[in-house]
Amino acid sequence: MELLINIFVNGLATGMLIFLLAAGLTLIFGLMDVLNFAHGGLFVWGAFAAVWTYTATDSFMLAILGALLTGVVLGFVTEKLIIAPVYGNHVQQILITLGFMLVLTEMIKVVFGPNQLAAGVPSYLAGSFEIGDVILIKYRLFIIVTGFVVFALIQFILKRTKIGLIVRAGVLNKDMVQALGIHIKKVFLYTFIAGAALAAFGGALMAPYSGVVYAEMGLEFGILAFIVVVIGGMGSLPGSLFAAILVGLAGSFMAYYVPDLSLAVNMILMAIVLIFRPQGLFAARG
Amino acid sequence: MANLLEMRNVHTYIGEYHILQGVDFTASAGQVSVLLGRNGAGKTTTLKTIMGLHPAKSGTILFEGKPIEKLSTHKIARSGLGYVPEDQGIFSTLTVEENIRVAMRDQSDATAKRINYVLELFPDLKKFWKKNGGNLSGGQKQMLSMARAFIQDSRLLLIDEPSKGLAPVVIGKVIEAIHELKKQSTIVLVEQNFRMASKVGDTFTLIDDGRTVHTGEMGYLIENEEMKRKYLGIG
Amino acid sequence: MAKALSLHNGVYLIIALALIIFPFVTESRTWTILLTQIFIFAILAMSYDLLLGYTGIVSFGHAMFFGIGAYSTGIFLKSFEPTLLYFILSIACGMVLAAIVSFFVGILTLRLKSHYFAMLTLALSGLFLVAAEKWRTLTYGNDGFTFRAPEIFQDRLVFYLVALGCLLASFVFLKRFVSSPMGRVLISLRENESRTASLGFKTLHYKVIASVAAGVIASLAGSLYAISLRFVNTSVMTMDITLDALLMTIIGGVGTLIGPILGAGVIELAQHYLSGLARENPIFERWIILFGILYILAVIFFPRGIAGGIQSLYLKLRGKKVGVHRSLKKRVVKS
Ligand SMILES: Nc1ncnc2c1ncn2[C@@H]1O[C@H](COP(=O)(O)OP(=O)(O)OP(=O)(O)O)[C@@H](O)[C@H]1O
Ligand SMILES: [Mg+2]
Repeated sequence: MELLINIFVNGLATGMLIFLLAAGLTLIFGLMDVLNFAHGGLFVWGAFAAVWTYTATDSFMLAILGALLTGVVLGFVTEKLIIAPVYGNHVQQILITLGFMLVLTEMIKVVFGPNQLAAGVPSYLAGSFEIGDVILIKYRLFIIVTGFVVFALIQFILKRTKIGLIVRAGVLNKDMVQALGIHIKKVFLYTFIAGAALAAFGGALMAPYSGVVYAEMGLEFGILAFIVVVIGGMGSLPGSLFAAILVGLAGSFMAYYVPDLSLAVNMILMAIVLIFRPQGLFAARG
Repeated sequence: MANLLEMRNVHTYIGEYHILQGVDFTASAGQVSVLLGRNGAGKTTTLKTIMGLHPAKSGTILFEGKPIEKLSTHKIARSGLGYVPEDQGIFSTLTVEENIRVAMRDQSDATAKRINYVLELFPDLKKFWKKNGGNLSGGQKQMLSMARAFIQDSRLLLIDEPSKGLAPVVIGKVIEAIHELKKQSTIVLVEQNFRMASKVGDTFTLIDDGRTVHTGEMGYLIENEEMKRKYLGIG
Repeated sequence: MAKALSLHNGVYLIIALALIIFPFVTESRTWTILLTQIFIFAILAMSYDLLLGYTGIVSFGHAMFFGIGAYSTGIFLKSFEPTLLYFILSIACGMVLAAIVSFFVGILTLRLKSHYFAMLTLALSGLFLVAAEKWRTLTYGNDGFTFRAPEIFQDRLVFYLVALGCLLASFVFLKRFVSSPMGRVLISLRENESRTASLGFKTLHYKVIASVAAGVIASLAGSLYAISLRFVNTSVMTMDITLDALLMTIIGGVGTLIGPILGAGVIELAQHYLSGLARENPIFERWIILFGILYILAVIFFPRGIAGGIQSLYLKLRGKKVGVHRSLKKRVVKS
């Protein structure tokens, strides 16, 4: 029982981290019809920015702020330089964002050095709760709670604010939104920046969780996020949450019970979805 | 009478296809100007070109004397044009209320007054205020779409085939609505239903194969059987 | 037209001859090895170009076929005898396997839209990678295994010529393939899939054939690669291989066949020199940034890469009249 709960909590925490990445990715696709394979690059920049800030200031709050700021700046630059020239062309989007992903990964090594960095957990989130036999690691619970809070926050913004309303309308019919006098390119930019900031935030939370950060984790997690978005249905936020938790749990249970298959399980899940239901489990449109 | 909108020798490409090959068109303030032509003539494309959704490749489009053909769609809309597309462009998973809210530019009293006005004109919208746009009937969608364009205080409404797929009774209501809206705003109407076009239209412009072939008072077209047969396949 | 064509062929022939003679006039072992490496990756990149440039599909799983070739050759030569016969058999075996796999992968994936296709190819090649890692009795997993190459390849020169021969053969084969009626259908598919379909072509059918051809050629590259290292491990199945092919194809020039060869040359050479420079200044270890930026610029501004650049320069030099006329025509049709 105790073991099951541990595996479950672990999987849920991993799932929530992936969700933070996937949320931006799926919104960007849903609204802008853009495939951003550089999303993992924003994540890893967030992770390094947070670790660097944390080491320098010893403040977890500042570390998260640093990551968010990095995400916002990079998101702005990426949208303007990389995404804007290739609106409407999926193949070009795949190609160019993949190239940018390589650049972002290598730039990490230039700025922060080629080696991995160790990341610490702030003291107030270190340690664990013991409830009877069950030991719950605080930081994991923190991630899980944060994940749900972020989900609720995004849902609130989408459902209750004007900009959220415009985003939902834009997902359904971009032309009409423009014909109603709304500057959709600007909304695109904001959405992209928000998605980038979320990715960077995910990176910041990831760092203490995994204990180290390294440049290649951008591609790893970027692919994982894409898998989640595909499984959940591109453009669907609840779909991404569901799929992220599914992937997180499948990964942690497999790692314990069938370790040989744990590497393959995400690929298998995605392959099954793509073959039998390419629009994903929660189709956002059509 | 002042020309509110004026298109001169407009050419539009969609992808590699040369669709509009010289459209001339004017809409006078306070009137209902009808665009006519058979299926595929380029009526919808003309409206989309005015709105900047399929930008003009060459030619000029003046609105209130100012060129708008180079502006992006949202700026065109904000300069005072409202668009009611052929498919109504309803946001299907948004409620009627939310559809209206997307279109609201401010919270002013003037906007509130306009909303009250359209809700009186289209009581169904009030009735289904919380219902999803996608679940409305064809006629209700049409009304929602017109309401959405109207509350923006547009001085020119572009309405694409409002009678399409509607039962005759409902068409009657739409005609009434257009007569009512005409008091507040100038209207450009694309209409295949000639009965309806002749009832509400003041002037007509005939488009064939992406070109303007004739323009004049509606009364002239009503009398001219040959022109109707040649370009509209009726009469 | 015919004259221009034979001029083209003449240039190709001269380059091919120069490459054949090259190792006999220089003594440089480094150059021989470097060029061999370029030939191998040029074959891989060309096969990728058949998909990307001529059919308009982005595969994230091309490494799968490269890996099939590499493992076939490695396993054959290790398990049987390191003779020329087994080498040839291993190539054939890799190609057949690659054909079968790419056929079924193609049927499964090619009906999907671009991004779903890319992700499914990623998933399938990911599964191959996991299989290679886990089937240790056969592959020795990530540690890999060494094996002996046929005696005759002890002489680097011989292997150089074999790789060059394979490159030329692949080039001629692919050139024929894309200029056949079949290739024309592929190109029109890339330009406008729905229109091609509405003309009555079974688009899936054509795409599958292209992906089988690409898979088979990639497998050949993999076989040669294994010989060049006398070692195979799971790295031959990784995304890095696919990314290399992608980079070479885009920088060299998509949809040209000669472009990927140039791309392979430029990238391998630069990698060689820049990693040499890295010993003095570690910033050069980050050479991939330079190529990433070049690649991004190529995608946005020079969609036909180096080869396209050379071509338009050539056309300009040939006289403005033709150039202006052509570009005008293009503009009218496209916009
Ligand atoms: N996206 C597009 N791509 C290519 N051609 C298009 C596209 N949209 C419209 N066309 C073509 O442009 C021409 C004019 O179309 P348009 O929709 O303007 O006609 P219409 O007069 O509104 O017809 P209808 O009465 O059927 O609505 C048609 O021949 C149509 O096939
Ligand atoms: Mg129409």
